[in-house]
Amino acid sequence: MKKPSARTLFARLFGTSARGISVEKSVLTGYAAADGTKVCVIGTCNGTYIDNAAALRLAAHVIDCIEHHPKTPIVMLVDSAGQEPNRVAEMLGLASYFGHLLSCLELARRKGHKLITVATGQAVGGAFICYGMFGDRIYALDSASVGLMPVEAMSAVTKIPVPVLRKLSKTMPSLEFGARPFALLGGVEEVWSAKEDLQKRLAKAIKVATTEDNRAELGKKRGGRKLALDIRKKVLAAASR
Amino acid sequence: MTRGPLFHEQTARQRIAALVDPGSFDELLPPPDRITSPYLGQLGIPVSFDDGVVIGRAKIGGKKIYLAAQVGQFVGGAVGEIHGAKLTGLFKAAARDRLPCVVVIESGGVRLHEGSAGEIAIAETMRAIFECRARKVPTIAVIGTDIGAYGGMGILSTCCDFRVMSEHGRLGISGPIVIEKWMGKKAYDSSNRALVWKTSGGKTKYLLGDADALVHDTADAVRDAIAKLLGKSSAVTLKSVKTRQKELARRLKRFGETADPDAVWKGMGVRDIARASLASGPEFAAIARRGK
Amino acid sequence: MEKFAKAFPSSPLQAKTAKPWALAGVVGSGNLEVLLEVGGRPSDRMECHVETSIPGYKASWLAALADFAHNYPAGGTKVTINDQGAPPVLVNLRLRQAYDHLIKSNK
Repeated sequence: MKKPSARTLFARLFGTSARGISVEKSVLTGYAAADGTKVCVIGTCNGTYIDNAAALRLAAHVIDCIEHHPKTPIVMLVDSAGQEPNRVAEMLGLASYFGHLLSCLELARRKGHKLITVATGQAVGGAFICYGMFGDRIYALDSASVGLMPVEAMSAVTKIPVPVLRKLSKTMPSLEFGARPFALLGGVEEVWSAKEDLQKRLAKAIKVATTEDNRAELGKKRGGRKLALDIRKKVLAAASR
Repeated sequence: MTRGPLFHEQTARQRIAALVDPGSFDELLPPPDRITSPYLGQLGIPVSFDDGVVIGRAKIGGKKIYLAAQVGQFVGGAVGEIHGAKLTGLFKAAARDRLPCVVVIESGGVRLHEGSAGEIAIAETMRAIFECRARKVPTIAVIGTDIGAYGGMGILSTCCDFRVMSEHGRLGISGPIVIEKWMGKKAYDSSNRALVWKTSGGKTKYLLGDADALVHDTADAVRDAIAKLLGKSSAVTLKSVKTRQKELARRLKRFGETADPDAVWKGMGVRDIARASLASGPEFAAIARRGK
Repeated sequence: MEKFAKAFPSSPLQAKTAKPWALAGVVGSGNLEVLLEVGGRPSDRMECHVETSIPGYKASWLAALADFAHNYPAGGTKVTINDQGAPPVLVNLRLRQAYDHLIKSNK
């Protein structure tokens, strides 16, 4: 599937209001509208790595939204290959910068902002965990690369041969890389085709979103992650005995 | 007086036994339940009865808590579907029952062998941690081993109210070996232990304010630090995130161009680097306080 | 992976234990975990289940377990082992540790 350019994609999601999104070093911030619904936009594009400064810029924009645009839904676009793999970033506490971004998003959620994620390009590892996976509802374009890591990278780290992993991924969607297998696990609510009216899709997604984390239920229903929900329930039941 | 075992050398179950009031630990989903990963066997890796995390109820100083301890020896303490669901369930129980939740982290992050399932589980656990925080239920991460808290677990630790570290503990996202592979040995020599610990170790994290306590490498010291935090919580408010935003911006501005961790130590008020390097956790904490 | 099970004659466990199970060891490279359980089994046998990542050593395993069942009154217990290539001496140590934990839980 051909990947649309960042600006083309913004136009598909927000129409002419996409002008309100500014891009600086592949980090997006701004305000726009999806099918008439005003939204705050944060995100990444061009598969950039997220460093301390990027996390701070995203956090600052979330704070701005909370302060000046109460209850405005926040749309999080994700196209990032991961956290910046850099010693100085680590030394300065990149994890804490991510934790801060997550805290800002949590505050927004508590103050009535809906959080909708759209994985538009790469949505991989730490870069997905540090904001996108924190949405109330998470969507992905069918052209997006969603997941922990591609099978080749997994093989390099685990020393398990690629063909073995490929074969296993047929019965283990968690090993497969992509939007659809991720949806089978419940990690993505719905996969959108680029052919659809994305503005309408997004506006509807905002409308129906609730703050209840439904991913374990979805994973069980769709069969990609059968155990998580029941084990969580077992823990809760055992803890009340 | 005999010196007790070192915290970083203990197993998860030994740590729990040494941290909590004697006999107070009640394990949830204990080994006889045999809730093991259905995936590992297919990859030729043996399973473990607790799937690498021991969870349960306990008391510390008479106060009821929920407690989890990851097993670093088992697949690097990494989070798979079951492991992660146990953590999510525990934090959800803590939020529901309004009891503090302590997690002793020893994990490289997501268990690659179970792919994205572990990744989603970490994200779900983060949501559960913030459920606790919204209810003012204290959440405390303990990081006191070489395996430390990395990847998704490193990020997860920063979602908790507080982090207790020893100088053995390491907190980060990308580990030194990964960064060395990526940036070259010149940028990060992962065999340089002093550099690795000054980059991600407890002392630097405490100095920068990312760890709330820096303690001796013993269960007694860890328990004392936990006990002091059990009655506290750190609310996420507009004021708190704005303060944090300023702190983190200032940190980046001051040290963003600095490759040398000693410059960070000096900048944070440590005068005698050599002495501070040799200082024990609490001694270092005292030096750091004086520097502020 | 290799998996097998066998029961060995053993004299009955002497005392009633306070806790119905004990665990020793961890699953890690060159290590193993031993889960020892009591209750609901014939009191003259030690039932053993082994799962190991290193195939081809069944005979040594059975010998070690038979030895333990012979030397300790472990009748009525069930031993379940998850192994990641532990040396025989460690197998023996973990069995004894699990046994000691189980007996000590009596206090």
